[in-house]
Amino acid sequence: MRPAAPVRLAWRPRDSAARIAAAAALSAVCAAALVALSGHDPLAAAVALAQGAAGSPHQIGVALNRATPYLLAGGGVALCFRAGVVNVGAEGQIALGGAGAAAAAAMWPGADVIAALLVASLCGAVWAGVATAIHLGRRVHEVLATLLLNFVALLGVQQALSGALGQKGAGFLQSPPLSPAFWLAKLPAFGVHAGFALALGLAGASSFVLWRTPFGFSLRVAGASRRAAAYAGFSRARTTWSVMGIAGALAGLAGGVEVLGVHHRLIDGFSTGFGFKAVTVALLGAREPLAVVPAALAVGFLETGGQAMQRQIGVPSALVVVIEGLTMLFVLAAAARRP
Amino acid sequence: MIEFLAAAIRIATPLLFAALGGVVCESAGVFAVGLEGMMLMGAFAAATGAWGFGSALAGVALSLVGGGAMGGMLALVAVRGRADAMVTGLTANIFSAGLASYGLRALGGDGRGVAIHLTPLAPWPIPGLADVPVLGPLLFALPPLTYLGIALTGALEIFLRRTQAGLVLRATGENSDAVFAAGIDPLRVRMGAVVAGGAVAGLGGAVLVLQQVGGFTDNMTGGRGYLALACLIVARWRPWGAAAACLAFGAAEAFEPRLQTLGVPVSSYIVQMAPYVIALAVLAGLGRSSRMPAALGESLPFER
Repeated sequence: MRPAAPVRLAWRPRDSAARIAAAAALSAVCAAALVALSGHDPLAAAVALAQGAAGSPHQIGVALNRATPYLLAGGGVALCFRAGVVNVGAEGQIALGGAGAAAAAAMWPGADVIAALLVASLCGAVWAGVATAIHLGRRVHEVLATLLLNFVALLGVQQALSGALGQKGAGFLQSPPLSPAFWLAKLPAFGVHAGFALALGLAGASSFVLWRTPFGFSLRVAGASRRAAAYAGFSRARTTWSVMGIAGALAGLAGGVEVLGVHHRLIDGFSTGFGFKAVTVALLGAREPLAVVPAALAVGFLETGGQAMQRQIGVPSALVVVIEGLTMLFVLAAAARRP
Repeated sequence: MIEFLAAAIRIATPLLFAALGGVVCESAGVFAVGLEGMMLMGAFAAATGAWGFGSALAGVALSLVGGGAMGGMLALVAVRGRADAMVTGLTANIFSAGLASYGLRALGGDGRGVAIHLTPLAPWPIPGLADVPVLGPLLFALPPLTYLGIALTGALEIFLRRTQAGLVLRATGENSDAVFAAGIDPLRVRMGAVVAGGAVAGLGGAVLVLQQVGGFTDNMTGGRGYLALACLIVARWRPWGAAAACLAFGAAEAFEPRLQTLGVPVSSYIVQMAPYVIALAVLAGLGRSSRMPAALGESLPFER
């Protein structure tokens, strides 16, 4: 008989921070080697990347906007992971949220920005609810339920764009531009849209709920030990339903914020990869909603800098994706080493 | 009609390899979410191999290596390191997309990406049989990798059902303690299965590159790995079933433009949605039934 793993409810920040920093450093070294292999100077690439990410107020604003959907969706995924629910459904929920916001803006007379954002989060939450119903009702593994529903949602959004939501004769799948009444307000600094402030606030709120409320405690117990949660009388169905609903709403909101804050219209593929990267961000943020903030910012700045790096010195921006993937793999490998 | 069936087979072939690779992984109890990345690395390796060595055979061999290497990484992190196989698989998919895209552009040297042009593999008509009306052109004048896919399906079916090694593989997916008690290390079985499955899925990438497109573009697998995952669930983890599911999806996809030309309003998006919905329905219908490898997704204990 092997000893049961000890139940840990506390977050050990220094421990995970060191591990994640080591993983990031290691992947940066690998990336530098890759850059050198392709015949460029790694140092020049790093400088170009940093300048592209934070060289001007405008670039900083772009990076912060870029980080916003990761922050929102990643925070929700982090809560799910805390509760032991492996939710990889953000990809579809974000797309549906974007579509919901665009639909509300285009078709609901009398709606305003707030209403459109609420519709967006509702769409995400409903889709997460479908996944939860399949998972709990039919005992399908939650990863398969959420993963497969992503593709149904993405194709559904394309279907809507080719029909009711789409712009006729646009050449590709996109909606007509939304009325400026629905555009998110710009904050005074860096030209960042209001969605970023909203995301920061929600990250703080999520962290408070997770660590300072009975509900958050039930989530942490459920994630730490299913049996302990059952013994304590926390219903697994209830925890799963609520945490999936919250994560879905946050992911949907991420889609709505991206559509209303950045593109001002619904474009096919506007959120490609966002949901899968939200999983990355959640784990890089050690499944802690406040620590997801630096993780999402890092990804946002990296991706913005990567574009500039490619433009300026010809190092492919795909390097950024390699860094993201590698860091995650190292984090996973390091975290798993401890039984 | 023949044209339509030929199109169905063409669409099904890359899916089939990925689904077979997934069957190998999942029969051993490891979720195969990384199929997309394995396929993409296989495709990239096939393209660079065939382009660099000027031989399609080198491309095929390297696609095995590319897919197998991605499988090896998954085996290290998810099987040996006991990380969540699903999350690791997703991460591997992100990583592969970045690596292939970076590699393509680094080879070009100017950040734009090298244009790889290959002549797609020509069909190999089987003398005699290819002249049979209807069936001949359909089944006996296929490109080489399609024959390989059919042969592999049969071989895998026999391997899983009729050989000792196949039984060990499936037992690892059902009950790793029993395998351990029989004196076999389930860890090695699972790691081997993921590497082998990755190599087979990599072949699916080679089919895309060498037999269908004749080049490599960013993200050229376009979600086929996930689709293959749906197909193998629909097929309930059986090789021939997976072939049938892939073929059915290929037929639906090939049928849709033909219906549209006839004026029947079908949406290609709804058609593409079908395999995922059916896979979910199958999973929901199964619950945790006996057809699904019982220990699928359970990580191995550290100590015994």
